[in-house]
Amino acid sequence: MRYILLLAAIHILSSPALADFREVFEREFLLKPWAGAEVEESVCVECHTSEIMKPEYRHVAEEWKLSWHYQNRVSCHDCHGGDPEDAAMSMSPQRGFLGTPGYTAVPEFCGKCHVGILRNYLESGHGKALKAGKRGPNCVTCHGSHGISKASIEIINDRLCSRCHSYERAKSMKQALFLVEKKIENIEKDLEDLRASGVYTEDERKALFRTHAEFRALFHTIDVSLVKNRTDEFTKKLDVIQERIEETSSELAFRRNFSAFIMLLFAGMAVVVFLLSKTYMD
Amino acid sequence: MTLWQRIIRWLDERIGLTELVDTHLKGYRVPSEAGVFYTLGMVAVVAYAIQAVTGFVLLIYYIPHADYAFHGLQEIMRKAPFGWLFRMMHVVGSNMMVAVLFLHLFSVFFTGSYKKPRELTWLTGGLMLLFALLFCLSGYLLPWSQLSYWATTIVTAMPTAFPYLGEYVTRLLRGTEHVSGVTLNRFFALHVAILPPFLVSLMGLHVFLIRRTGISPSPFRRSEGQAGGYPLYPHFLLKGLFMVMVYLAVMFFIISFMPTLFLPAEANVPADPYKTPAHIKPGWYFLAPYQMLKLIPNKFLGIFIELLLLGVFLLWPFLDTKEERNIMRRPLLLGVFLLTLTLWILLTLWGKYS
Ligand code: HEC
Ligand code: HEC
Ligand code: HEC
Ligand code: HEC
Ligand code: HEC
Repeated sequence: MRYILLLAAIHILSSPALADFREVFEREFLLKPWAGAEVEESVCVECHTSEIMKPEYRHVAEEWKLSWHYQNRVSCHDCHGGDPEDAAMSMSPQRGFLGTPGYTAVPEFCGKCHVGILRNYLESGHGKALKAGKRGPNCVTCHGSHGISKASIEIINDRLCSRCHSYERAKSMKQALFLVEKKIENIEKDLEDLRASGVYTEDERKALFRTHAEFRALFHTIDVSLVKNRTDEFTKKLDVIQERIEETSSELAFRRNFSAFIMLLFAGMAVVVFLLSKTYMD
Repeated sequence: MTLWQRIIRWLDERIGLTELVDTHLKGYRVPSEAGVFYTLGMVAVVAYAIQAVTGFVLLIYYIPHADYAFHGLQEIMRKAPFGWLFRMMHVVGSNMMVAVLFLHLFSVFFTGSYKKPRELTWLTGGLMLLFALLFCLSGYLLPWSQLSYWATTIVTAMPTAFPYLGEYVTRLLRGTEHVSGVTLNRFFALHVAILPPFLVSLMGLHVFLIRRTGISPSPFRRSEGQAGGYPLYPHFLLKGLFMVMVYLAVMFFIISFMPTLFLPAEANVPADPYKTPAHIKPGWYFLAPYQMLKLIPNKFLGIFIELLLLGVFLLWPFLDTKEERNIMRRPLLLGVFLLTLTLWILLTLWGKYS
């Protein structure tokens, strides 16, 4: 037995000589993102964060990295076009590079993906005013371009909305949105709680997403009476989701109580068995 | 003669029931100092039985296909009557079973019970531990969640550190280059059909060996105690039953109050080969070897050391042939044991929090 060990030891010491087998291992094991590194980056980000970039453009990538788009994997080329893999040709129009959109072109720029919102926006007072003579706000006026965060009614505020007209209009809009927004917020919180306690909530999450996307698209019509008219409809939709969440929560409570009860049963039986074995010992 | 007595009598004539009970239960003596630590083996058997039974129930609903596994399991959790209970018992039970096996291993080591003539008992026990870990490895993938997918990717990548054969082994386990639906089917087959007969046979052999050589008396006992020990039934079995109840109580404690202990957030997200989550770690029982492999700069050396340690572990009774069974009188062995234990725990923690 000891000789076998000795042989093994010799083998180990000589093994580094065969070290080229490491390659596959390192590719699979060490260099994978789960070993610490992050997801690979596009050449756009690489070059735009490097030294050669003009100082006034450097903040762009940093802002983007904090954005909701970044978290949802919407990258530079998804908005601006271009080739994220070929540094030399990346910003060539032949590769679909669109450049920077002008003030009035922004809605279509974003509307590639946010189709429903674009439709509502173009029909709204804001959209018409924009197309008529740059008087209306575009998407970037309200959301920003690179550091876009999750939308909420906090975007409607005195500073932003009284730039072109009185805040009164904005305020009545905010009030009309308030109830439903509050409900969405609560449901989001409940879903997060459920998820934290180990429940798969994707179905509810999708239903909620569909509802709030539709509702928030509605805001972009900036038609207060339309929003008010449809508040009931949205409240009902949200109530359905809420109900399912409550069912799940009470089911969870039942489960906890049920298994705690079983736990007590077994603990009780442990005590009984212990006492029984004591009587045998004596 | 009551009906009961008649049944006993009938059986007695045919299978010799009374004799069986007398020789194997009442007549079988257990050393009088055998405390709760001696019952861990029994607890492990029950733990495995619980895994088997809950596993059968899960098998009724589970669909071993990459497109359905995750959602099927969510149906088990949400819709199948008491599906959640069986699933939670299976998940918590698998971790607790490994914990019990480790404890059993420590107590056997500490009491020197592996020494002549019990080398084979140790060997079969060690093999069973490996099989239990294979069960854990294959079972981990079955829910097909992000956690399953990426933890399996990590663990099945470990053999690639080994030259010539390593890649082959990884390939054999995965079936494809990366973890995929093929891997799922392989692991499913392993988990429900290939591993169980091996483990059960080993278990039978293990128990047979124990019955042949008897339970070893403790090297630490001070007085002689009751001469010849006490009978297996009812004394020792009651002790075992007590521990089984404690085991179950702990299991249901975890299910009630710490349901996410073994099911972190990633266990709730369907597997996505294109999205690598940030903090995926293998199961706690694989953390120490995983971290060790990560730390040793030459992977090749790393995997060899691990295999060597595994060999030493399995063949330990053949290496340690000293008569002395009391580890307290062997400071060097005690030191090595405690050092290994501390290292293991440190590596596990390091792996968890790095
Ligand atoms: C090799 C470096 C490099 C790469 C790769 C690169 N850029 Fe640029 N980009 C620049 C520089 C330098 C400027 C500033 C040009 C100027 O001075 O106006 C710029 C400007 C821009 C502008 C604003 C000016 C304009 O033409 O409208 C946009 C938008 C832009 N880049 C997007 C991208 C996208 C999208 C990608 C990837 C598909 C990309 N860039 C890849 C270097 C790069
Ligand atoms: C959500 C879509 C979107 C994404 C993603 C995006 N951009 Fe832009 N980008 C815009 C819009 C809209 C403008 C023009 C409005 C403005 O001036 O902010 C713009 C303008 C720019 C400009 C010109 C800035 C200026 O001040 O004139 C640069 C440079 C640029 N983007 C680079 C990038 C880079 C690099 C990335 C990736 C890190 C990126 N963009 C990602 C939408 C986007
Ligand atoms: C390549 C497609 C794409 C383009 C172009 C794009 N977005 Fe997005 N946007 C997304 C995706 C995907 C999400 C994440 C899903 C979601 O939450 O709606 C998102 C989310 C958002 C959100 C947050 C939604 C929420 O849930 O709160 C806002 C606000 C937003 N985008 C605004 C814009 C603006 C403004 C532009 C133009 C400058 C733009 N987007 C261009 C794809 C795009
Ligand atoms: C860039 C200038 C500008 C900004 C900023 C702006 N608006 Fe407007 N808004 C307009 C113009 C232009 C009109 C349409 C012309 C009019 O009725 O005065 C309008 C009209 C409206 C109307 C009435 C629409 C109708 O059909 O009656 C509402 C409501 C409104 N805006 C809400 C808001 C809110 C809320 C904000 C802040 C999030 C906001 N606006 C920010 C320019 C702006
Ligand atoms: C007048 C300011 C304003 C303009 C212009 C504007 N938005 Fe919004 N947007 C908002 C506000 C406010 C919300 C949040 C509404 C709510 O919470 O009910 C919002 C919400 C959103 C959302 C979130 C939807 C969701 O499901 O969470 C997206 C995406 C979005 N806007 C995209 C756009 C795009 C694309 C444009 C240009 C076509 C645009 N917005 C123009 C103010 C604006």
